[in-house]
Amino acid sequence: MAILRRIKEKLKKVMQREKKTGNVKRPFFSKAKEKEATKRIEKEVLGAQEMAVERTKFSTPVAVRVAPLMREELPYGYGVDKIVLQVRDSCWIHAYWEVTAQSLNRLGEQLKDAFFNAKRILRVYDVSHIIFDGTNAHRFFDIEINPEANNWYIDTGGPGRSWCVDIGLRLPTGEFIKIARSNTIYTPLEGPSWITDEEWMVPEEMFARLYGMGFGLGRSSPVGKAWQERIKRALFSGILASPGITSVASPVKIPKVRKFWLNVNTELIVYGATEPDAKVTVQGREIRLRPDGTFSLRFALPDGKQVIPVQGTSSDGIDTITITPIVTKETKD
Amino acid sequence: MNKGYLCIVLHSHLPFVRHPEHEYFLEEDWLYEAITETYIPLIWVFEGLLNDKVDFRITMPLTPTLISMLTDPLLQERYLKHINRLIELAHKEVERTRWQPEFQTLAIMYLNNFCRARDTFERFKRNLVSAFKNFQDLGKIEIITCGATHGYFPLMDICKESVKAQVKVAVSHYESIFGRKPQGIWLPECGFQPGHDEILKEAGIRYFFTDAHGVLHGTPRPKYGVFVPVYCRGTGVACFSRDLESSKQVWSSIEGYPGDYRYREFYRDIGYDLDYEYIKPYIHPDGIRINTGIKYYRITGSEDKQPYIPHLAREKAAEHAANFMFNREKQVEYLYDFMQKKPIIVSPYDAELFGHWWYEGPMWLDFLLRKIYFDQETIRTITPSEYLFENPRNQVVTPSMSSWGWKGYSEMWLQGPNDWVYRHLHAASERMTELTKSFPQTNGLLKRALNQALRELLLAQSSDWAFIMGAGTHSAYAVRRTKEHLLRFTNLYEQIKSGCIDEKWLSDIEYKDNLFPNIDYRVHQ
Repeated sequence: MAILRRIKEKLKKVMQREKKTGNVKRPFFSKAKEKEATKRIEKEVLGAQEMAVERTKFSTPVAVRVAPLMREELPYGYGVDKIVLQVRDSCWIHAYWEVTAQSLNRLGEQLKDAFFNAKRILRVYDVSHIIFDGTNAHRFFDIEINPEANNWYIDTGGPGRSWCVDIGLRLPTGEFIKIARSNTIYTPLEGPSWITDEEWMVPEEMFARLYGMGFGLGRSSPVGKAWQERIKRALFSGILASPGITSVASPVKIPKVRKFWLNVNTELIVYGATEPDAKVTVQGREIRLRPDGTFSLRFALPDGKQVIPVQGTSSDGIDTITITPIVTKETKD
Repeated sequence: MNKGYLCIVLHSHLPFVRHPEHEYFLEEDWLYEAITETYIPLIWVFEGLLNDKVDFRITMPLTPTLISMLTDPLLQERYLKHINRLIELAHKEVERTRWQPEFQTLAIMYLNNFCRARDTFERFKRNLVSAFKNFQDLGKIEIITCGATHGYFPLMDICKESVKAQVKVAVSHYESIFGRKPQGIWLPECGFQPGHDEILKEAGIRYFFTDAHGVLHGTPRPKYGVFVPVYCRGTGVACFSRDLESSKQVWSSIEGYPGDYRYREFYRDIGYDLDYEYIKPYIHPDGIRINTGIKYYRITGSEDKQPYIPHLAREKAAEHAANFMFNREKQVEYLYDFMQKKPIIVSPYDAELFGHWWYEGPMWLDFLLRKIYFDQETIRTITPSEYLFENPRNQVVTPSMSSWGWKGYSEMWLQGPNDWVYRHLHAASERMTELTKSFPQTNGLLKRALNQALRELLLAQSSDWAFIMGAGTHSAYAVRRTKEHLLRFTNLYEQIKSGCIDEKWLSDIEYKDNLFPNIDYRVHQ
């Protein structure tokens, strides 16, 4: 439950923050922006809920077990200068890298004093729609990094663009010395594409099957100019994404945080012993004896009076003894 | 004549957890709980529908790891032990609650369900996959595949060889189990990266799924949004995308159906509630309290939980099924008028949501499928293959990189607690590619070592480990698994390179990580 609560609290904060930012600037656009923000938040709320549910698949007890010590550990690095970029979302990318001690030593020898005054930086290039050769980026920006760091999250601020990053040294003269260049990645679009050209297809094997069955090519697409306009409008107003049958806004209810609690339950144990081959009933129901003739029963004990006749009968059926404990339970707040 | 289609997808997945080296292993319970609470109840639902001649279609991704566990003799044996212990506990509960009829009814319900689950398990000779195969052979469900170990593809893009291996191992595993090729794939976590459709095409896969924004933000703009599939540019692999409206109705734990106060509360379990000495034999051997699966309370809506009342929950499930169907009918009518074309509403869920988290989920599904069959004509349930057969002409779009995880992209698997794994995973992938290149033809011990190396790599790639690290505090097991498989891989790599393979050790890890018996390391290239 704690995780759910935490997520909800976090979401509440996010929502408040988003609401604030949505109201501040450019009143002309604010409505559309707000709508977009609500949509995003809504998706986030749904995502967080899905996560909380999925998490229950991996139930783990509350008490933490001591993890067995690993006999070996993973290496710190793999002995190659390398930087790798990955997409985290439409704005953020993640870089991890390794710069070997040998490379640093080599650079140290080459650069002498300048090496010690050089800054370790990530140079982030916008390489959208080009084949990047190191010089033709649309623009770039530098991020100064701590020499101990081996990975970094970078806010590119630009969905729908391609990025490449160099790790290297920037000398006091402004000269940049590259140590390694990353792969190129593409940050996904944050909204619908502006490209509306349409292309339709019937896959070849499907076509072959249809042709063979003598069906012809299937229906032509119901596209008129007006129709297209209608779809476009619909896309902008978000109708196609969500036809709005149930309510759109999802106010997140924050459950009360319970600080202190006390649970008290009572159970009753009825136990005894007789000849191992005797027959015993408790409240008229026969019970099984242990091989040594003992027995033990456990009952949840609600408020009220319980009459519990215990009857033992010898195996030959001649002797019968009945003992009847009577238990009364009362709970006071 | 129907006006549109509903495609319900139940994604069934658990990571490979199997520890023959331990008598009892806590995380194996994930499987046992899912068997009792989800997979078997779903089998009951499908059997009931077949018995009553209700036509229905469900699409079920069964992941290769889940199939491997469900068909593993050791885990089958252990499940039997597990369910027998539960049955014993349920018997005791029936006795213990003798003076509390409101609880005793429930204890009897659990006892019956557990016994019935055991019977079902034994009826299918312990192999539940054969039950699902049977439903597929009857044309009611379409089983599709997934990444071999549920590796998250977008964060593997730097080494596409691993994406290929995830897909190819999965496809050949599917063929060995079901005797045919999979038509579709559930990309793990719906993680799509443009270009991966080529890998799918090469493996003979015809369709996959993305989250809504995968298609909505695709290029060019999809004319019909998420309500018809699109073909990927260049490959023609079809992409279906999720309808958020229907997802939200079920998924949301607050406003969604499962949060109704008449439904059973997941978080109150006798494993935590009852006296320690009494419950001790049924919890973790070290005495740590765990969920047993016996839960007596309903959600209630306040902290003062009330006992669960099965018939009220059942009525509610029927009501919710009717509501879901009504909303889909309205949605389809609206879209049909608007699009002049039959829309397909894709509603994917984690299968384990049904029964495990949402106890009444299987019941709801049962009501829903019956109602759709008997009570209306607007919608028809359909599988993606059938849809494509009936509607082969679709728009060509390049879907956007996306996932169905938290925030819609890769952040769930790429954040502070788990981002360290990728440098190691990628290094291992590179090394695997190197090995494949170095040894195009092998046999004997070397081949065994190479195959095992790929198994270890695949196991390390499971998105579940990163998910658990990212989601919470109890990540020790996930960290351990990631490291363990990576270390085993590294040892194998070094042994193979140096030409001295430790056969005894190799046999040991082959015995522990025994999935994909017919794996061929050469797929990793």
